[in-house]
Amino acid sequence: MAALSIFRPGLLASRLLLLLLLAGSAGCVEPYAPEVIDAPTSFLVIDGFINADGPTSIRLSRTASLDAKATPPPEAKARLQVEDEALGVVFGLTETAPGVYVAPATRLNPAHRYRLRIATSKGQEYASAYLPVKLTPPIDAVRWKPQGNSVNILVSTHDDTRASEYYRWEYVETWEIRSPYQPNIEYYNRAVSSIRVPYPGVCWSTEQSNRIVLTKTTSLGQDVVSDFRIQGVGAQNPQLYSRYSILVRQQSLTKEEYTYWEQLRKNTESIGSLFDPQPSQVTGNVRGLTDPNAMVLGFVGTHSVTEQRLFIDYKELPTEWRRQSGYEACLPPDTVFIVPRPPAFSPVEPQLAIDIAFGGQALLPISSIPGNGPGSIIGYTAKARDCIDCRTRGTAVKPSFW
Amino acid sequence: MKHLYSLLFLLSLLLLIGPRGYGQQLAPPAKTVTGDFTRVPFGQFVRELETQTDYRFYYDATAPPDSFRVSLAARALPLATVLQRVFEGTPYRFALTADGRAFITSGVSIEAELPGLFFRPTGTLAEGPVVAAPADELAPTATPGRSRYVTVAEYKVYEIGMGGGNGPATLAGHIRDVKTGEPVIGATIFSESPSVGTSTDQFGFYSLTLPAGRYTLQVRSVGSKNTRRQVILRGSGRLEIEVEEDITTLKEVVIEGEKDKNVSSTQMGLEKLDIKTIKQVPTAFGEADILRVVLTLPGVKSVGEGSTGLNVRGGATDQNLILFNDMTVYNPSHLFGFFSAFNPDMLQGVELYKSAMPAKYGGRLSSVLDITTREGNKKKFSGAGGIGPLTSRLTLEGPIIKEKSSFLIGARTSYSDWILRRLSDKKFRQSSAAFSDLSAHLTHQFSDRDAVYATGYYSSDRFRLASDTTYRYANKSASLKWRHNFSNQLYGVLTGAFSHYDYDITSEGNEVNSSRLKYSINQTSVRADFNYYPNPKHSIDFGVSSLLYNVSPGGLTPLSAGSLVVPNILDREQALESAVYVSDKMDVNQRLSVSVGLRYSLYNALGARTVYEYAPGESRSENTIIDTVSYGAGKVLATYHGPEYRVSARYSLSDNSSVKLSYNRTRQYITQLTNTASVSPADTWKLADNNIRPQVGDQVSVGYYRNFKSNTIETSVETYYKSLRDFVDYKGGAVLLLNRQIETDIINAEGKAYGVEVLVRKLTGKVNGWISYTYSRSLVRANAGTPADQINNGRYYASNFDKPHDVTLVGNYRFSRRFSTSLNFNYSTGRPITLPIAKYYAGNSLRVFYSDRNAYRVPDYLRADLALNIEGNHKVKKLAHSSWTVGVYNLTGRQNPYSIYFKSENGQIKGYKLSIFGRPIPTVTYNFKF
Repeated sequence: MAALSIFRPGLLASRLLLLLLLAGSAGCVEPYAPEVIDAPTSFLVIDGFINADGPTSIRLSRTASLDAKATPPPEAKARLQVEDEALGVVFGLTETAPGVYVAPATRLNPAHRYRLRIATSKGQEYASAYLPVKLTPPIDAVRWKPQGNSVNILVSTHDDTRASEYYRWEYVETWEIRSPYQPNIEYYNRAVSSIRVPYPGVCWSTEQSNRIVLTKTTSLGQDVVSDFRIQGVGAQNPQLYSRYSILVRQQSLTKEEYTYWEQLRKNTESIGSLFDPQPSQVTGNVRGLTDPNAMVLGFVGTHSVTEQRLFIDYKELPTEWRRQSGYEACLPPDTVFIVPRPPAFSPVEPQLAIDIAFGGQALLPISSIPGNGPGSIIGYTAKARDCIDCRTRGTAVKPSFW
Repeated sequence: MKHLYSLLFLLSLLLLIGPRGYGQQLAPPAKTVTGDFTRVPFGQFVRELETQTDYRFYYDATAPPDSFRVSLAARALPLATVLQRVFEGTPYRFALTADGRAFITSGVSIEAELPGLFFRPTGTLAEGPVVAAPADELAPTATPGRSRYVTVAEYKVYEIGMGGGNGPATLAGHIRDVKTGEPVIGATIFSESPSVGTSTDQFGFYSLTLPAGRYTLQVRSVGSKNTRRQVILRGSGRLEIEVEEDITTLKEVVIEGEKDKNVSSTQMGLEKLDIKTIKQVPTAFGEADILRVVLTLPGVKSVGEGSTGLNVRGGATDQNLILFNDMTVYNPSHLFGFFSAFNPDMLQGVELYKSAMPAKYGGRLSSVLDITTREGNKKKFSGAGGIGPLTSRLTLEGPIIKEKSSFLIGARTSYSDWILRRLSDKKFRQSSAAFSDLSAHLTHQFSDRDAVYATGYYSSDRFRLASDTTYRYANKSASLKWRHNFSNQLYGVLTGAFSHYDYDITSEGNEVNSSRLKYSINQTSVRADFNYYPNPKHSIDFGVSSLLYNVSPGGLTPLSAGSLVVPNILDREQALESAVYVSDKMDVNQRLSVSVGLRYSLYNALGARTVYEYAPGESRSENTIIDTVSYGAGKVLATYHGPEYRVSARYSLSDNSSVKLSYNRTRQYITQLTNTASVSPADTWKLADNNIRPQVGDQVSVGYYRNFKSNTIETSVETYYKSLRDFVDYKGGAVLLLNRQIETDIINAEGKAYGVEVLVRKLTGKVNGWISYTYSRSLVRANAGTPADQINNGRYYASNFDKPHDVTLVGNYRFSRRFSTSLNFNYSTGRPITLPIAKYYAGNSLRVFYSDRNAYRVPDYLRADLALNIEGNHKVKKLAHSSWTVGVYNLTGRQNPYSIYFKSENGQIKGYKLSIFGRPIPTVTYNFKF
């Protein structure tokens, strides 16, 4: 429904607000924290789908009240099984972490219908509705294009059989991080000495998409998605500083599953301004077997996933763009003097100065500042750990695909 | 000149008094005075007396002069005693007549009532039997600035008709403005004894049936000076009456034409506003806004201040019939509801029927909002206009054939486009926002019996807001009316009208998706309405009407050859709605008046169209379609019909209090599809068909009305109960655009609404205005069908516009003739909202789980506005009259929530409150008139 999604007036309303602002009006948006929201009973939440041609991963959790500080609690020690409408249990899932249930890749029969059955540790049973298998067509291309002040990630796909029509994408972004400092010294055993293990020069950070990206082709003459924008990365985003990669995972959905995600997106991403539709209770296709009136949230579809990866090197970006490393606040380095320097006369002993500066590990030495005499050191350049050790922002383990 | 006045005055005095003597028992005018006066100028003292008593004072302004000051303490003293005390030891004398006149003379006193068989004794009022005073001491100076014509007309005695029978005679004619020739609508003309009166209709026409005899007919109307005509009625005949505009009406906000209408009329649930009142109420953009003022009336609400969608007595926004000179207006707003689409300079006024809807009107459940334009000036060319922060307007009018035909044309346009292009922000420069409206009204009077009226209306809006999508919408309407008087007792109006509304949304960003979405509705109607006045006790209205709807419910078409968008054009929908009606307003006796009406409407949904049939007992969805039926052009695919009862009654408890009762049923065959909090221009109108039933509403209301202080303070308490059937509500996340099976997303809900409206109005004096309190509820229930079709498990829930408590104050204070100030205050309960109640993790992000529909409320709404009107000098003859309006909207700067919403940002759930006018907004508008 790419053609129609642009007619969503919510965006319009926010712009209209800007217009009114300039017209001498005084629109404003400010945070709002209602007091009336008390925690209701915690409902079971099922997040995931039955992978028709790959490993299945389902998360179980509970709802939490809005003002709760903690993240919603996982639902552990449940028993999960995938059932074939005709043949009964196909496979079970095992819990690898609290609330995370996985099963190895299994190929499901596209002619059959499947559901997920859940038994919680407290003996409550739930099951999703039986759904036919949807096989996702391959991604034709993932391209990128600089548009305006950002890079747009565009996906194209098609299904000549017109069996797909409803699409959802998730993506995983990975990018290189290069810290501006490579210290050759370290503070060790109450002394500054040559570094034993240098800090990694490159790290990689990875982020899962948290937006719901959907489109449908039912209003088009063919089942074709052409250059659909699934993500935009600003030119100043440190993700584009060195090398950026995005893995796009495509799923084709049934109409019901698409409706579920669309409602969820409407509820959480675009509710608000003047002409947006009202939020609604979105529950899904899971029902209680023990208690048919039990509130349970989540939609368990049965489909496969196709994926494609894209890399962007900074050299490919428009030359006029000014890159940002994310380390701008780290420049220039600080200086720690260990000998008294006029006019700010320091009565502190050099050993004490070193301990004060580096003993807490908050500041790391980068290099020595030589004095006038040969071999004499009057101090060190230094900076916070976050400016030096890129592992505070990612991992030094190179991803296999890099 | 002065002598002539005086002479006429004296002459008329004699004529007046003459026939008064025939033993007619006049109600003695109230004549006690209370108050402490310390060196009060005489002129002011007299005005105070005129307010406190029913007496009207006649005296030469130079005798006593204003330097003559009054010091007096009175506690319910008779007027005669008061005047005696005041004039003790002065050369001034006074005389009081039984019909409420007080004459003050210098040196000599007059005998107000002639002695003799026909005349009442004057008691001790006058100091001596002086028959007449020198003429120049008795000039009628209480009416300065009156045109000679009107003054002459007041003292002339008109002989009407032939013959000398005692049978009833019907006097009919028009009341018009003496300067412009425009009809005066809602003016009342009445004889005090016997108490018979009527008011003019939208053509300024009146018809009054009286026994043959001699009468003084009083004429009152909003914005005009009071006048009277003396007639000797020998038989039926005509009397054309011209009244003068009351140029200095700043002091008055007269809501109803007749002072005791609040109590005496059978109509209840009617709110009338004239343009002068409308112009006094401060608005956000400085320009008088008719719909904003309607929103201050009790029982009228809207979901938010950026919306002109009216919710009348718990009804939805689509349940109001908005008529502009008998043309239906589908979208009465500009800029998504921030402006109303009517040029204030064109307007005569507005009437809102909240209950007891006249049988003449139908097709909507909740209310009729009847907006009428003025008629153009038939005597000379003139114009008016205004310059405001966002818009400017200009209205021109004048005669085409003098005294016979006139035109009135008004245009309004925004210049926001011009402002936008001058901004440095690229986003704004790419934007455009423009709107304009144009209306024209022509009248031609062929003869006393025939007149035609033509009105055209066009409004358009266009937006392009920093994106590749352009929104555009427009209203186009025209009407032609022919009015024919068959006799003094019967006249008819034949009206043909055409209304059109359309919008389109164009997207040109990506070639593959470039497309245009279009919607349009046409309505063509013909109606004949007749008014028949067989005798003074009955007033009968009857008529027929028929209207044809033609809707193109939506079409998506590709814009370029490279676009992959498949043309998706929904079938046109057509329907014919016809009705006949008759109603009789009768005076059963002095105390009881009853109005009984019946309207019968018939609706046919017509082909060509393909419709779906669904499996009974199942939630409608694509999967439950059991049959697809195609109907040929003009074939009837669904028929609905039914009676609509309109009954109301008034029982007078006393001269200044009454009880009224009304019951009405209404049927609505067209529904606006809107799934958003406020009305959006992209909402569509859907006709009833085999799957979507028409809505039916019943309303019962009872009210108590009482006037105080000589009808200067009106109070009323109205209570109502309403039930609605087949009210339209939507499933969560319903898709309303381009949906071929729209019925699968619609729920036929039932609604009920009830409430109490308390209103106190003060019509005259330096401080005037109204204050109202409303308690009302509006509830919806969707419990039919399968669980998928139910909302909140089938329980009643508050509708989007359920705002139980509402207090509104509209007040004006006049410092002087040239400076006045208006204060507008509004408090209401926050509207219902569906709130998030829990959070959970799904799709790599925190999500929210929402409560039952409309289970909570947004914070209460509170707003105060202030405006100062500064008029130029009041010389009657000058090139142009101008005025400035300086105002502050939302004086306290309270950030009233328009919308509350929650967003998932970086995995966290945050609530936001959107305020549209979150701080005081100053405005300046310059208005002119020439």
